[in-house]
Amino acid sequence: MPSYFILVPILLPVIAGVLLLVFPIEDARKRNICIEIIVVINTLLVLWLLTHRPSESFYMFSLGARLPLTLNVDGLAMFFAGLVACLWPLASLYAFEYMKHEERVNTFMAFYTITYGVTLGVAFAGNIITMYLFYECLTMVTLPLVIHTMTREARKATRQYLYYMIGGTAFAFIAIVFYSLFCNDIAFVLGGNLNLAAISNHMDIALLVYVFGFFGFGVKAAIFPFHGWLPAASVAPTPVTALLHAVAVVKSGAFAIMRLTYYCFGAETLHGTWAQIVVLIAALITITYGSTLGVRETHFKRRLAYSTISNLSYILLAVATMSPLGLIAGLSHMVVHAIMKISAFFCAGAVMHQTEKNYIYELDGLGFEMPVTFVALFISGLSLMGMPLFAGFVSKWNIVHALLEHESMLGYISVLVLLYSGLMTGIYMLTIIVRAWFPHVGYHKDLVEDFKDPNWLMKGPLIIFSVLTVVIGFYAQPMLDFIQKIATGIY
Amino acid sequence: MIGNPILLLLVVGPMAAAVIGYLIGRVNKSARDYFADAVTILAFLTMVYFFLTYKEGQPVSLYVPEICGMGLSFKLDGFRIIFASVTAFMWMMTTIFSKEYLAHARNRNRYYFFLLVTFGATMGVFLSDDLFTTFVFFEIMSLASYVCVIHDEKKETMYAGAVYLAVAVIGGMVTLMGLLMLYHAAGTLQLDALLPVCEEIFPENARWLYIAGGCILFGFGAKAGMYPLHIWLPMAHPVAPAPASALLSGIITKTGIFGVIVISSRIFLHNGYWGMVILLFGVITMMLGGILAIFSLDLKRTLACSSMSQLGFIFVGIGMQGLLGEENALAVRGTMLHMFNHSNLKLVLFMAAGVVVMNLHKLNLNDIRGFGRKKPLLLYTFLMGSLGIGGIPLFNGYVSKTLIHESIVEYIELLKEGHGAATFAFASGVDAAVLFKVIEWLFIVTGAMTVAYMTKLFVVLFVEENSDPEIQKQYEAKTHYCNKVTAAVLAVTATILPILGVFPTRTLDKLADMGQGFMFGVSPHHAVHYFSLVNLKGGLYSIVIGALIYVVIIRGWMMVKMKTGTVIYMNRWPERLDLLELIYYPVIMIILPNVAAFICRCMDFMMDGLILLARKTTHRQLHGGKNPPKGYRLSFWLGGFCNKIALWLNKTIYKKHPLKRDYILRFAEKERVIKDANKIIVASVSFSLLMFGIGMIITVIYLFMAV
Repeated sequence: MPSYFILVPILLPVIAGVLLLVFPIEDARKRNICIEIIVVINTLLVLWLLTHRPSESFYMFSLGARLPLTLNVDGLAMFFAGLVACLWPLASLYAFEYMKHEERVNTFMAFYTITYGVTLGVAFAGNIITMYLFYECLTMVTLPLVIHTMTREARKATRQYLYYMIGGTAFAFIAIVFYSLFCNDIAFVLGGNLNLAAISNHMDIALLVYVFGFFGFGVKAAIFPFHGWLPAASVAPTPVTALLHAVAVVKSGAFAIMRLTYYCFGAETLHGTWAQIVVLIAALITITYGSTLGVRETHFKRRLAYSTISNLSYILLAVATMSPLGLIAGLSHMVVHAIMKISAFFCAGAVMHQTEKNYIYELDGLGFEMPVTFVALFISGLSLMGMPLFAGFVSKWNIVHALLEHESMLGYISVLVLLYSGLMTGIYMLTIIVRAWFPHVGYHKDLVEDFKDPNWLMKGPLIIFSVLTVVIGFYAQPMLDFIQKIATGIY
Repeated sequence: MIGNPILLLLVVGPMAAAVIGYLIGRVNKSARDYFADAVTILAFLTMVYFFLTYKEGQPVSLYVPEICGMGLSFKLDGFRIIFASVTAFMWMMTTIFSKEYLAHARNRNRYYFFLLVTFGATMGVFLSDDLFTTFVFFEIMSLASYVCVIHDEKKETMYAGAVYLAVAVIGGMVTLMGLLMLYHAAGTLQLDALLPVCEEIFPENARWLYIAGGCILFGFGAKAGMYPLHIWLPMAHPVAPAPASALLSGIITKTGIFGVIVISSRIFLHNGYWGMVILLFGVITMMLGGILAIFSLDLKRTLACSSMSQLGFIFVGIGMQGLLGEENALAVRGTMLHMFNHSNLKLVLFMAAGVVVMNLHKLNLNDIRGFGRKKPLLLYTFLMGSLGIGGIPLFNGYVSKTLIHESIVEYIELLKEGHGAATFAFASGVDAAVLFKVIEWLFIVTGAMTVAYMTKLFVVLFVEENSDPEIQKQYEAKTHYCNKVTAAVLAVTATILPILGVFPTRTLDKLADMGQGFMFGVSPHHAVHYFSLVNLKGGLYSIVIGALIYVVIIRGWMMVKMKTGTVIYMNRWPERLDLLELIYYPVIMIILPNVAAFICRCMDFMMDGLILLARKTTHRQLHGGKNPPKGYRLSFWLGGFCNKIALWLNKTIYKKHPLKRDYILRFAEKERVIKDANKIIVASVSFSLLMFGIGMIITVIYLFMAV
């Protein structure tokens, strides 16, 4: 396969989205069919691309002598692109139904589609400059999605989102400049490609730059102290919060950190340095922070947003162990968390869409009226807690294993933190379920009688995600084998 | 899959049957009940087949690779056959009993569904051959049994259920972490492989193994009602439906014991320190359970506390087998047999209690007084259970208690000879002997407490008359208090107990021979003479002291004569002495999240606080204006107050130099600044720009340095 073909799945949704902006389709039905066809075709293209990978990278153009823009499909790119491609069509189905009664749907769907292409761009980027470019674009194209409702709250949240992102990329920029000056070759290579001889006398500076880069890209992954935007951004419509803030945006943050750590600076170089300790501690604090405030939060979607904060740092914690096992654990949690969190957000969205209830204390007795939704929520909740037989357990097991391999005091402290976080996850997820099925005193059946499960467009993705959660929980070996191959560089 | 697939069927079969049963139940309720009965009977018959065809040293095993990440492995050796059979037997009996007990209850479909899921999971725990499999099914069991516990959905039921669930979830998480540490240290969780590996790595890894073992003990111990995690036990049993209580107390607590036995015999085999820890927890659990049972005024709560006490006995047995080291034959056999006996005893007692509840829907001793009079079958059932659990000679409880008691006596002998001190180095030989003498007496006293509270229940139900003669008449008129199936179930289960007790050498000893290999026990050098004078003496002490406790404490202190002349039972337990309300609830639900949240909020504030600080100091803006702005109530109130003080001061102290400030204005200004600053923090414009700026500056500096 010629290498320029990589450009197709990136450009197709972008062009489609731009066309949709220029020539709006007012009829909702027609528009939905058009978009879904494009999204599905694009997904098939991506999957085809992943199975027939071009052998070399595609050189687009250059920003200067040392700054080429290239696209490449290596193991990690395959992984992330595959994940995004599989989730997107399902999420669009859900979005059609959810956005039915909203305004400015055309604009919304246009940007939603463009985001697909840009996220794939982040995945397929062949070097850190290209990734940075797409990463910035991602911020810009998701901005209209967050602000969509145009309420005061949404505008405030968007402003916050924008400033955090710009602030973050300023930090990331330092890392990129440094890396482009002191690398052998700017392309991603597993194990890192830093010119160690050139910086051997200034190792501390290199580490400091890495820490800057980690936190810079970490802004999207909501790492402490740059987590503030995520709960605020949950004012956006649910398809956005679910897909973008639980999968695309935040996962690109984690993905970028993986690239930076394992493919640029190199895990071997960083292992055992003070930089590692700093990032480990930051991840630990974030986990504690997210799971604690999750318990305190009574707004349904914001609670899930806090849960996202803590779970993203599970990934970063695994990544920060700087070992192949850590990469495996991080990647597996990336998949698992994507599935279970998107499912949980969709449940919250289904509840909001059907009943217009936003707070947990309003959910009394809804479990009987909306059984599919709440069973799905229950499954994702158990999975988030890391119960055996559910997907979350598989990745949590790997994470703790990676931490214990690390053989330091911090490794054991991390286990303790994970224990605390698991406990808090149990409290904040199960209290929702218990309320829904075992209502408190003062509940009347007729209060909730009119509500029922949403239609199949919304229910379908929920059921698929729940089944996936259980299947991965039962039989995760193929997934782990695949990840293993990525982490050891076979792909 | 390698091995005998029937093992998987025993575990997954009931779970699949649960789904089928649920679907049947939507069409025909009665058919579903029979279907559930058939499934449990079939499972029991399968276990009987395995029991009869079992040959020493030829266990049946099964390995299902790659499921749940690590693969599941099952095995049926003597010990597992016994307890899987007990599980199947208890489920069979309680499922049959459930039909009448729940005849008028709601949500029966849900109940049967989760009953069968719990059944499959419990079988999974007992059949498991590696700790991972144990844990997986242990968790499923915890969650599924929760739904059975909260069946009637009353307020106090939900509360008790929440406590049960909380303990189960916390226990599960801690256990998981322990298992991970163990897996990391040993590299395997396979039960047979664990022992040699642990022995090898013990010297250098002792610390981590103890931590891992402690974590695992936490989870399994919580399920087994070990102090201080016993709180769910006296709460959940009384509120659950009687068949569920029987299962909970009879077999689900035993899964916790199973886990404790596994770690005690696979990681810490013959380890004196570990044995001592378990022993001490066991003694506390045993004593506390007995005391709570004596004070309890609720039929099922008394039985629940009794369970706790009996589980304490089992813990003592496990502790002794660690302490005794190689010579632990008696302790091993006693532990195993007491597990077995207690399951059967609690099945009988809870079902008898269930009959009472089914008819009266009351549990308080003052209400149910005299219900059992002129009901011979109920009397027979309850009497057999009471005598058995009280450790009366010729009943099964006596046999196992004697064995555990003998093991303590044996250890004292060893200490006196100076052997035991090698494994137990906390104190020198003589002092340790005294300590164990005390433990022996505590053991006997707890046995006596068992006698006392069972006498209390028996007297209340069958001897005394109700304080209201009208009600007593109604009670005695109730001749048809259960149907024939239930009656048969009660009679069969009750009759097993004395048979086991009268022929211990032919029944219980055989079981012990069969199962002791699991804990690496060996047959004792000479057969134990259960009815020899020495052994009977221990039993007699218990009975005499028990009678004394009954007369002095229960009849003398707890029974109070009212003005009307009737005598009622009074609650003498101080209400405030409740571990849950006093410690756990405040710590877990209030202190932990609030303190952590406070710290988190402070951290939240850290970034934005920088800006606030800047605005307060270097970037301070000038504010003017004379009129107090509107809407600042606090400022008005405080300022007005200060103004008055100033006025008063001007009149008295500062007559010559009066204060001329207007405090309302000052305070309002301050408040406005704070409010403005807060708004800015929320928006965080300057913060982000600041960060951007810092980033750019550092980049430029860096570039200069680098180039």
